[in-house]
Amino acid sequence: MLRATLKGMASRKARLVLTSLAVVLGTMFVAAAMILTATMEKSVSGVIADAFTGVDAVVTAAEDPAAAQGNTPSATLIPADVLETVRGVDGVESADGDVSGQVNAIGDDGKLVGTFAPTIGFNWNEQSTGFNEIREGRGPEADDEVIVSTLFVTESGLDIGDTVTAYSYTADRADYEIVGVFGLSGDRDSLAGETQMGFTTTTAQHLLAQGENAYMTIYVEGDASTDAIADAIGSDYRVQTGEEASEEAAQGFAAVADIMGYIFLGFGLVAVFVSVFLIINTFTIIVAQRQRELALLRAIGAGRNQVVGSVLAEAAVIGVIASILGLGLGVLLGWGLSQLVSSSVMGGLAVRLEVPPTALWALAVGIGVTVLSAIVPAVKASGVPPVAAMREAVNPPKPLRGITIAGLAVTAVGGVLVALGLTDNLGDLGLSGFLSGVGIAFVGITLLTPILSRPLVAFLGAVMSWSFSGRLGKLNAGRNPRRTAITASALMIAVALVTGIATLVSSFKQTTEELTDSNLESDLIVMGQQGANIPTFAPETLAEIKALPDVAAVGDLYGEFFGAQVDGESTPLFASEDLPTSLDIFSGTVAEGSVDDLADDGLVVNESAAEDRGVALGDTVPVTFADGTTVQLTVAAILDDALLTDGWWVAPAQIEHFTVPKPMQAYIQVADGADVDAVQEEVDTILADEPEVDVTNNAQFVEQQTAQLDTLLASVQILLALAIIIAIIGVVNTLVLSVLERTRELGLLRAIGMTRGQARRMITVESVIICLFGAVLGIAVGIGLGWTVQQALEEEGLTSFALPWSYIVGYLVAAVVVGLLAAIAPAARAAKLNVLNAIAYE
Amino acid sequence: MSTASPVKTTAVSAEGVWKAYGTGEAQVVALRDVSVQFASGAFTAIMGPSGSGKSTLMHCLAGLDTTDRGTVHIGDTPVTGLNDKALTKLRRDKIGFIFQQFNLLPTLTAEENITLPAAIAGAKADPDWLKKIIHTLDLTDRLSHKPTELSGGQQQRVACARALATRPEVVFADEPTGNLDTRSGAEVLRFLRTSVDDFGQTIVMVTHDPGAAAYADRVVFLADGRIVEDMAEPTADKVIDKMKHFEELVAAAQEETA
Repeated sequence: MLRATLKGMASRKARLVLTSLAVVLGTMFVAAAMILTATMEKSVSGVIADAFTGVDAVVTAAEDPAAAQGNTPSATLIPADVLETVRGVDGVESADGDVSGQVNAIGDDGKLVGTFAPTIGFNWNEQSTGFNEIREGRGPEADDEVIVSTLFVTESGLDIGDTVTAYSYTADRADYEIVGVFGLSGDRDSLAGETQMGFTTTTAQHLLAQGENAYMTIYVEGDASTDAIADAIGSDYRVQTGEEASEEAAQGFAAVADIMGYIFLGFGLVAVFVSVFLIINTFTIIVAQRQRELALLRAIGAGRNQVVGSVLAEAAVIGVIASILGLGLGVLLGWGLSQLVSSSVMGGLAVRLEVPPTALWALAVGIGVTVLSAIVPAVKASGVPPVAAMREAVNPPKPLRGITIAGLAVTAVGGVLVALGLTDNLGDLGLSGFLSGVGIAFVGITLLTPILSRPLVAFLGAVMSWSFSGRLGKLNAGRNPRRTAITASALMIAVALVTGIATLVSSFKQTTEELTDSNLESDLIVMGQQGANIPTFAPETLAEIKALPDVAAVGDLYGEFFGAQVDGESTPLFASEDLPTSLDIFSGTVAEGSVDDLADDGLVVNESAAEDRGVALGDTVPVTFADGTTVQLTVAAILDDALLTDGWWVAPAQIEHFTVPKPMQAYIQVADGADVDAVQEEVDTILADEPEVDVTNNAQFVEQQTAQLDTLLASVQILLALAIIIAIIGVVNTLVLSVLERTRELGLLRAIGMTRGQARRMITVESVIICLFGAVLGIAVGIGLGWTVQQALEEEGLTSFALPWSYIVGYLVAAVVVGLLAAIAPAARAAKLNVLNAIAYE
Repeated sequence: MSTASPVKTTAVSAEGVWKAYGTGEAQVVALRDVSVQFASGAFTAIMGPSGSGKSTLMHCLAGLDTTDRGTVHIGDTPVTGLNDKALTKLRRDKIGFIFQQFNLLPTLTAEENITLPAAIAGAKADPDWLKKIIHTLDLTDRLSHKPTELSGGQQQRVACARALATRPEVVFADEPTGNLDTRSGAEVLRFLRTSVDDFGQTIVMVTHDPGAAAYADRVVFLADGRIVEDMAEPTADKVIDKMKHFEELVAAAQEETA
């Protein structure tokens, strides 16, 4: 029996290649995802381990280790005398204090260097030179000198000998002369995209430690035990071995690689999911074509189980070969992706390829999916009665009622899961509930596709029926609803996913636009790109803008996001120099009390927030700022809930306690009749010396807010191209089989005068209709998906629903192109057909 | 009441046609120097045992297969040497086909199947003519049916209507009754006879059934790739009688060529 199976397979090579390709692609992506994750983890931990080479112990302040890394502006500090104590511990050969944190540097273009990844400032000392390599010049010797990283040179447009202006949250601008350029060991420019500036310890402390003689971290060399060091300096500090610290540091970076790994895994699984349809279809067709052969096997005594076994064996052989191939290609792809991630995100990190044992899962997935997909066709094959061997094969169209009812049921289950997942009823399982719901709904809709194919194919076909061969193609596409449906379903899934995401993006855009239009009573906005830090500008600038003749009003916003507490709970705080005007501009309204002449100890809050905390007008509430100051504030006004003004507002007098006592945003109302563009230019001139912010009009503002989403959408589309490729293979497969099945018909048509061109056109129209059908269905499902998610996120602020028209049109055009491409080979085959053989074909 | 032209012109002619398949040891010569003319407005049957070359001859005459040597004409048009495009056009405009397997398109209705050649040509069939043949074939009530909803006899009648719809110069019928019961077969044959007598059509039919051959005006017997007998006004008995003596005929023909 196995021999018969293998011989049968060998005679159907082309089809096997196409089916295998789908399995190969799916397996490849799953494997690549796992390899990417493992490789990046290994590479990152390798680099970090390098960084800690020779470091035997690391001392940090006992609190938040993240603070010690300088990720927040108020890192807890280790006074210089502790360093001296450490140096005195027995067995300590050397100890260096490290000061590092985020600084701002102004590049050649007058704007901040490195918007998306931070600029890290640190004290350049002997320890630094171990890991960093001076490429040019020297380290800083005077307090107004700085050595910068190679990436800094690239991003700032400044080089050795130039003067760079730098400042921090707490230190004002000062000029520093670039005296050297350094790179990272291993010929890298950066660890994770950050730019770096090395100062003298005094300067670093001025910039990052409020001028105190203190450090964030102490690196120790020598064989002193961590316990001995801890005993000497007391429990205010945490002492780790170099290895522990290195592992901890690596974890942060590895998380980035993990996320990317999950994304690729997701796309790999989508590819696998789509392959399932292709495999089921191929095996169904193989079984249909082998009906007589299978019946013959049954007639000469093969049992039902043997027939099932024969089909499954075929699937297993395909699964094994394709999965091994896929795994191999996955290793290559994973390595390539790691290189890409490394050079684009990780600053040229040296990639150390790692194939984790989990990559073998890809094999299991590939084989499992292939065999499982073949089960239904296999069981169907076993139902072929022996007498079918003696008869002309007739396959009457089966009624669609059963499959339709099943489809409705499965779709409903998927829909319920999606709804539950989105409404938090599943708790932590929400996301997996949502995703599996989407998957199940896809299966359900696929089962419904045959019944949907009749009206839709007829409609789509009507558009293509302008020529007679087009009409024949349309009729052929509607001929086997199940096959057309399953072929189109693969495309449907890919299109549905991208359409769903595109719908969310366009809804988000519209929401932003409406928000700007209806809630924001301003014409111009001053703010910076939200990047590594919150961009601010000088308060004096605000006054200058207000003084412009054509400016009617200016709303301003100060914010405190780091560790302020209202009544003991961490809460962001806001403030405005002119709260009444700002409220007007933000469409905020006062429910109780008054915001006019807000007292220095005044507090303003929106209704629901007040309710949550049990605070009423006139109540006195303790507010603690990040600098440790606690003040008693009295609620002077309660605001109606409004999108832009919800939260806790303090009086301008409290701004001095904010971590960054500078305005973040300004909203400008231009005087009636004044030229907005002219005012924008004037404001732009005022902002010439403000590297962190820009002035935009409302349209530009929306554009800025949504630019990143467009990038996201583009990457999703590129990744889903894989699923689309698999779907195309499915279309090609179906068409090739259609041509084979209809050889006699094609022969007849050619005999009675159909030209080769007409035959080609007929197949092409069939192909285009199948693809359009898949796309239309996918667009509909995607819109439904997008709408569901938008409804669920309405409370979170995604209030508008908008269709991504340009994308929808794009997908339809793409479907036509895909249909044309998929038809090339099958159409050529149909045209090449030998008329005589085709007529004699049995 | 015959409307056929009193002057018999030649609708199809073959001149010294040779055809062989395969090479070397496996070579099979299907046609050996066959020359034959088929007159316009006549019903000719081609008969012969399996492997005699009768189907090959028909395929060569109809431009479905190429000849190795010799020439074929449909009316004044030389078939030999035409490229695929020209051959396709020739088949579309000048030839009608009726097959043993009916070969209707299952997606089209009976009416659409009948007008298929015209539709492929992007033309419209003559409605009066269509009406006439549909009426003659008693298909008026069946026009909107799909082939699967028709009996075998009905399907073959649709195929006949399709073959005649463009008023081709010649209709080639390949075992048109092979898949039909006796009654349906007789209906089809009667129609073919009528189309020759009343409409002046030219029909060349390949068959192995003496009863079917008896409907023809003339029977050409093929054996071993040669024409061995040309019988006018055949009857079933005459044909059966001739077939009984086939081996002698073949031997005689072989001697003649030797």
